[in-house]
Amino acid sequence: MSYLSTIDFTEDQAFVDRFQRTMRGDLELSWMDVPRERVACRPENARRGLTFRDLDVGAYGFTEMPELIRENRSFAPRGAAMPEGLPDLQAEVSRKSEVWAYNIEGYYEEAMTRQWNATTDIPWAELQSVDLPEDIGKAYAQLLTFLTEVEMIATDVPAKWMGRLNADFFEVKNFIATQAMDEARHAEIFRKRALSTGWGLMRASAQNEFNLKFLRDADSFAEASLALHLQAEGMVLTLFRFSEYISPTEGDKKLFRLVMQDEARHVGYGMQHLKWVLDHFPERREAIHHHLDEAENFVFGGGYATEVLEPFIILSGKGLKKENIAEGVRITNAFQLKQTDEYFERLAKCGLPERRERSRLWKMVEMRKQTMPA
Amino acid sequence: MAYYAEKNFFEDEQLIELVTSILSGNLTLEWYQAQGARVRARPADPRRGLTYEDCNLGPYGYDAIPELIRNRYSMAARGSVLVTKLPDLGYTVNRRSDVWSDNVVTLYEEAKSRRWAPAVDVPWTELAARADPVREAAMAQVCTFLEEVALVAMEMPSKWVFSINQEFLELKSFLCAQMIDEARHVEACRKRALASGQGLGRASASAEQALKELLSAETYPEASLGMNLLLGGFVVAMYRAIAALAGMRADRLLGTLAMQDVARSVAYGVGHMRYHLAHQPAKAVALGEYLDRTEHVVLGIAGSPEFLEPLVLLAAGSLDRERLAAGSRFARRWFRAALEEYFERAAAAGLGDRRERSRLPRLDS
Repeated sequence: MSYLSTIDFTEDQAFVDRFQRTMRGDLELSWMDVPRERVACRPENARRGLTFRDLDVGAYGFTEMPELIRENRSFAPRGAAMPEGLPDLQAEVSRKSEVWAYNIEGYYEEAMTRQWNATTDIPWAELQSVDLPEDIGKAYAQLLTFLTEVEMIATDVPAKWMGRLNADFFEVKNFIATQAMDEARHAEIFRKRALSTGWGLMRASAQNEFNLKFLRDADSFAEASLALHLQAEGMVLTLFRFSEYISPTEGDKKLFRLVMQDEARHVGYGMQHLKWVLDHFPERREAIHHHLDEAENFVFGGGYATEVLEPFIILSGKGLKKENIAEGVRITNAFQLKQTDEYFERLAKCGLPERRERSRLWKMVEMRKQTMPA
Repeated sequence: MAYYAEKNFFEDEQLIELVTSILSGNLTLEWYQAQGARVRARPADPRRGLTYEDCNLGPYGYDAIPELIRNRYSMAARGSVLVTKLPDLGYTVNRRSDVWSDNVVTLYEEAKSRRWAPAVDVPWTELAARADPVREAAMAQVCTFLEEVALVAMEMPSKWVFSINQEFLELKSFLCAQMIDEARHVEACRKRALASGQGLGRASASAEQALKELLSAETYPEASLGMNLLLGGFVVAMYRAIAALAGMRADRLLGTLAMQDVARSVAYGVGHMRYHLAHQPAKAVALGEYLDRTEHVVLGIAGSPEFLEPLVLLAAGSLDRERLAAGSRFARRWFRAALEEYFERAAAAGLGDRRERSRLPRLDS
């Protein structure tokens, strides 16, 4: 046992006595007298229902939450009266700007209302009627294998941090829970689609797994979020958008539209979090650059992952013939440039415009642009 | 940061040559022949869609997961073709019977199809008409308490999912469903308390001490037994009581919808214990001892004044002495029934009849 309650309740006569008195109708009701802010929160917009934003009132709200959480070290809900004897849950992150994001409450509410079901929201029966030719089928199965492989990292990493965050940041914890579910659904849908193509799963990707390990092992939540939400998921978001474009069937396009919606939310959190960090914790700027230096090194090393790049070319060009490959390369080039452009654009919007100048990835992309045909 | 790439790829001429060659149209196609087993998953019942059960095929299926995962420590999708140099991602829970349950796949599918959103699925505007301050104070206190419990119940799966081998994909997905279920309960209970006109009540020191003990379980089987089977059963009973005592549709819905979610965790907890003990029968002794020393947390949680007193008050409907006596009779029946259900579940899970051994029945005297 790593922690034992300070009291064994069944052996504590005072506690047992009180329990039995309550069971006989003899109540103390001291909880009714605790000083508190009496509020009656109501939906501002009835169609949206009662949102976390409607609860942003006084000490219960997130606006008045201080930068450093010094008082609550337990699971006491934010704003509740805290009696003596609450345990210390050893939160490792008690500074708001290490986890907070503008509009976090909005991202959470959106996630809850836009949950979907990979089992029933895809026209699986319709997809059964389509036989993909070997080159397309294998390329698609390989792309899906890659996506199945990487999705759950975005469950494991935030989940690892959830328990380390102070309970006062419950909106962030709740958002993490929605993200975990989103990613489980993504792993599910890509796996199911791969297994329904008739080709099954293809080859795992060592190069990408190194990147996953990098994401898992970040030293702080802020670094984990930066590399996961903003960089990795941002790039995957662009990948989803192009994948919708090159998808072999309408059902597959729907699949990518659904996952894109979730992914955009995660990227949104990542951006608004970075913006919050830079606005409230500016001394982090240099550490962020250092982390991005290595994150971008992994991104560039992703070039070794031929099991991602090549299927993309085949799917883009719609086949393996020479002219298909040429067309596929053209689209893939455009995709990769768009992917990195969007990444640097996001960083600039978050308040990191100098990243382009500092980044080796940006320099490599610029060099590549110069060698590409107009 | 703790993990660095094996080289500076920006200086890697070999990589630049490879990518340049591919983007000139010279594909390696090394992966093209690396074909796993060819299958075609189909929905057994098109109305239900394509379930994980439909994908339980050959080497891809969950039936094919061995008891001990010895050679897969990466995130490679189960059944995909492995390559050399896949990194070790540090999983420490690698034994199937430490986590698996025969009903976990079905429960995951159910969790998705029975999702709800507290913001819109509870008729909050109904609360405006409510004007019984005693009842509302009791409801605010119960909901403060349940928010506290849900925060811990959300953290339990999050604490373990990171350490569980990726081969157990369906199980990990169920843990994610548990997380979002509990996030929903945090949300719903907080909203209900803050809509009451009373504000939040008092946190519970006894419940938190007990919850911390449960959360700190050293192994996943202990954590699951404590959180899903033991605590989960009592939390189901708590939500059931809220629904039963509700004076309006909003509270009834909150109670029944949350109860439905927690019931899935309890079902998993029972199924998991059954599976665990069927494959590791010797663990029954250790888990029995775990319950011997841990069952007391039920008293710290369900018997805490921050839950039990408002429950009596909700059942009583007023502070009148006679009504309070009636409310306390309800609470006694409630506790007795929840305890009996727990003993039944423990027995069904293979932990034997704990009625004689447990210290909890002594309380009901």
